[in-house]
Amino acid sequence: MFESPSNPKPSDNRTSSSETEIRTADDTAMLTRIGQRDENAMEAVFRRYSGPVYSVALRVLRDSGQAEDVLQEVFLQLWRKPTAFAQNRGSLGAWLVVIARNRAIDVLRRRKPSDSVEDVVLASPVNVADEAERNTVMQKVRGVIANLPEEQRKTLHLAYFEGLSHTEIASRTGDPLGTVKTRIRQALITLRKALEA
Amino acid sequence: MNETGSNPAPISPEDLALYAIQALPGDEMAAVSAALRDNTQAQQDLARVQGDFALLALSADQQPAPAGAFDRLRARMRENDQTAANPVAASAARTPVQRADMAFEIAPARRRSKWTIITPWAIAASLAIACSILGYRVSSMNDELDGSSRLVSNLAAKASHAQQVLEVLNAPDAQRVTLTATKIPPVPTAHTVYLAERGALVMEASHLKPVPADKAYELWVIPSSGGAPLPAGTFRPNSEGYASLVLPRLPSGVPAKAFGITIENVAGATTPTLPIILSGE
Repeated sequence: MFESPSNPKPSDNRTSSSETEIRTADDTAMLTRIGQRDENAMEAVFRRYSGPVYSVALRVLRDSGQAEDVLQEVFLQLWRKPTAFAQNRGSLGAWLVVIARNRAIDVLRRRKPSDSVEDVVLASPVNVADEAERNTVMQKVRGVIANLPEEQRKTLHLAYFEGLSHTEIASRTGDPLGTVKTRIRQALITLRKALEA
Repeated sequence: MNETGSNPAPISPEDLALYAIQALPGDEMAAVSAALRDNTQAQQDLARVQGDFALLALSADQQPAPAGAFDRLRARMRENDQTAANPVAASAARTPVQRADMAFEIAPARRRSKWTIITPWAIAASLAIACSILGYRVSSMNDELDGSSRLVSNLAAKASHAQQVLEVLNAPDAQRVTLTATKIPPVPTAHTVYLAERGALVMEASHLKPVPADKAYELWVIPSSGGAPLPAGTFRPNSEGYASLVLPRLPSGVPAKAFGITIENVAGATTPTLPIILSGE
């Protein structure tokens, strides 16, 4: 299920061979360079993933300033310790957006960081390093979510983008706790099946 | 799929999903975390759930990072590297960031946040208000100080005057003369000044006859309420028959009907012993 990001892009004749090499390098090679304090590699990773990272933070926080704070901290953490992301943690892009979402929820709920980035391990079924594939996946995910039953979609939104606990969701919607749990689980199953199809 | 061979605590898929997005209460988060520790299968399931949620994160409407975001990040990266290279100097310039080596600190990095605009003005306004309050307080305290200074000056003047009076009354070498009609031999006399409200009394006596060494004159206050006489203190006349009592210990608020002087043992008495040598109303 793990996919090693490899996203070769057409070379740009107007750029130097070094720049082209960085732009087309896979995430693992980028992380190695970042570990060697290569700012160009860091910039390449930033350009590759800053959009999704910023977008999820903005979706949660609805504040561009706070969202950029999260964006900066996620990438600064990557600069501080690129080894926090290991090969077996899935794709770097997926890992970064999960970290960004968790940090945005922490900010939203005014709490200290609730986990260490090293605790987040994920198995991503898609390669989000490639922008074209990422866009395709995004459209697919949006379609799946749009077709979820209203209660599932609402419950998933409250839990994931508003950071409510299942007890808070139950309190807000009036649904039993078990129903809230089942809806979140069912929505995930639907999403996974759709992406695997 | 347990690496340790023991039976791991079961974790429901629902709880695993909630755990992945930190949607469980604190105690349940801790329980799931503990159950995950030795449960390889559950760890793999969690990784898949995290992957699913990563897809959900990608469903957010895509927005490009703000202009100049990487430049700001680069500045912080360099600052971070300088901090790592010179932690002593950096610690003075920056607050601690890392929790162990992997903690996050959501610190303001942008320069255009509304808070970076509002905060200085808010601080300036707060300082202006604080200065106004302090100025008013200082002015009030100066007024209070001036009033206190005037009061102290008045009290000092009065105290000085009272001290002079006491020194004259108590001076052993002061010349004391009782004026009477001519050709009348001097007789023992005493003058009392009593302020019942304060229990303050001053007595001056002259032409008193000497008393034995174990005896002394004693002044009594006779309350107007009819109560028992209050002893106001003992005294012995000097060689010229002069004696005085200045502010003996007396209770306040006892109006006097009369005063009397008796001869008692030198230590004083609780009730007067007849005869009454001098008396007055």
